[in-house]
Amino acid sequence: MRQNKLFQATSFRLALLYAGLLAASVLVLFGLTYWFATDYAAQDETNEIAVEAASIQDEARLRGDAELPGIIENHMRLRKDVRAVYLLEDANGRKITGNVDAVPPVLGPTILDRDLDGQKRQLRAYGYRMANGQFLLVGQDTATLRQMKALIVRAFSVGLVVTVLLAVLGTVIVGTTVLARLESVTRTARAIMSGDFSQRAPVRGANDEFDELAISMNAMLDRIEDLMRSMRQVSNDIAHDLRTPLTRLRQRLEHAKRRATSVEELHEALTHSIAQVDSILETFGALLRIAQIEAGGRTGMKMAVDVSKLLSGIAEDFAPAAEDQGQRLVADIDPQLRAEADPELLTQMVVNLIENAIRHSPPGAKIWVQAKSVGDGLELAVSDTGPGIPLQEREKVLRPFYRLEASRTTQGSGLGLSLVAAIAKRHDAKLSLSDNAPGLRVAVVLPAAA
Amino acid sequence: MRILVVEDDAETANYLVGGLEEEGHAVTRAGNGRDGLFHAMTETFELLIVDRMLPELDGLTLVKTLRSAQIESPVLFLTTMSGIDDRVTGLNAGGDDYLVKPFAFSELIARVKALARRPRGTAVETRFKVADLELDLLKRVVKRAGHEITLQPREFRLLEYLMRHAGQVVTRTMLLDNVWNYHFDPRTNVVESHLSRLRTKIDKGFGTELIHTVRGAGYCLRAPE
Repeated sequence: MRQNKLFQATSFRLALLYAGLLAASVLVLFGLTYWFATDYAAQDETNEIAVEAASIQDEARLRGDAELPGIIENHMRLRKDVRAVYLLEDANGRKITGNVDAVPPVLGPTILDRDLDGQKRQLRAYGYRMANGQFLLVGQDTATLRQMKALIVRAFSVGLVVTVLLAVLGTVIVGTTVLARLESVTRTARAIMSGDFSQRAPVRGANDEFDELAISMNAMLDRIEDLMRSMRQVSNDIAHDLRTPLTRLRQRLEHAKRRATSVEELHEALTHSIAQVDSILETFGALLRIAQIEAGGRTGMKMAVDVSKLLSGIAEDFAPAAEDQGQRLVADIDPQLRAEADPELLTQMVVNLIENAIRHSPPGAKIWVQAKSVGDGLELAVSDTGPGIPLQEREKVLRPFYRLEASRTTQGSGLGLSLVAAIAKRHDAKLSLSDNAPGLRVAVVLPAAA
Repeated sequence: MRILVVEDDAETANYLVGGLEEEGHAVTRAGNGRDGLFHAMTETFELLIVDRMLPELDGLTLVKTLRSAQIESPVLFLTTMSGIDDRVTGLNAGGDDYLVKPFAFSELIARVKALARRPRGTAVETRFKVADLELDLLKRVVKRAGHEITLQPREFRLLEYLMRHAGQVVTRTMLLDNVWNYHFDPRTNVVESHLSRLRTKIDKGFGTELIHTVRGAGYCLRAPE
């Protein structure tokens, strides 16, 4: 199961990446918090010490330096709970009062290691020289700061673990849902590769990118299947439809070989045979042309075409041919209609439609060639008062070789409308067959030139 | 007429050479593009018949090379049915006409004759006269025995083409190609109905017929013998 391993590898890599990124951001956050918080707490402690020292000095100034030991003892009593430290030494460094042992007098801030309530503690302290030469040390246990540091470290350790767990969990969820959906597309592709063309990628209806991917892929598959089916259909039809004239040709030649007694008879048989071969070749030519138009060749041949002029010309060309059949061809073409088109293909399309109308309509019929601007483009239409096409057959006549029962006997390859459909498709035009009551109306709507 | 046939398929080449020699032409044959180019560059021909798909050097490049070397002999391209774009590229490369395989021999002969007569680069003719029929391109006037005849635009172009090729057989496909600019074969009788109308206007009531139908080949406009 190579694909499973790949899938797992992808999820694993993703999990690792996300967990790593999140852990890194948690660590950065921790560093900043630790630094700012401890800095702030240390400053706070220093300030508190300064305030305490100032208040002692104020009281001493008020009541006289001699009262200093009493003041300090008073403060000691009052602030026992906050673990405040006091020390008063005389000028010779001997302890007068205080709750810590004597230290060498150091002025300014200092950090002392001292036993306090039986525990080793760090003390933050500040030393002052009083006016009478005595040394006053006011300090405070750094417990708050220490506790805060411990708290921050603990909080972030827990946070880090939770973050990494969440990242891994999140990625696993992404892995099993999102990647699983990619998997389903891959599975569809594999099923199709192994021959089951009916498979389609599942669409969840969530309207997300994956649905979009699945929908586009399914549309592509539908189109391919459509093309494959029509190709299969066409090759079946070719095999069938060419067998008939080839069989007839063979019979004719064989008959001539056995029965023809004079050069004239042989000549006659050959002339007929050549005509028959020509008609088979013509069918091949039409098939090739349809295939080529459908395959999307001639892309560079599109140009701005004066459709009115082109259509009027064709109508003029075919009016006499219709007249010879006792029919009347009428042009009803709005002036100055333009479109982006391949003029040669457009000509062939209109000619095919007019010829169909002439061929399938009885003498006395009327044929219209129309062109006009419609909402979203340009409508070309050829209509007649002939027999028309029954509703249920209208879709089918666009298929190669499909012929109505009534027209089986008339000449033609059965490819004319297929060619029209191919040309219309090539121009992104909409082809529609409708009832002309009586007769048939074939309309092609070319999209408006950009 | 000296004709060079450049065709790699032996059977088609035999068919071409045999038929053309029967018609009284002197035919040189080349089996690939390089040999064809060599012959065309070293000898003088009145017509070149060149297949589009050739080994060694394709027909298109061959003709482009000839034209850039100022060799202006008319070129008739042979193309396959599938090459619907070949006509345009072929004519752009310097070809003068094209014929889609398979073709009827009468079609080839008619086109060969038409090409041999085509004056390359000479002054443009604007007035044509066959017997008592006159056509003036500039004034757009047609007269038969001094009487002016009114023609539809398409009939005028049809007559112009016939008069340009007076005395030659002109096939239905040549007319479709050159007069109608239809590069496919319509199934209805477009050509026939226009020709019969033109005939009525040109020939009817003037005693001698100028437009003749050549059975199994095409049409011919010619003065009575």
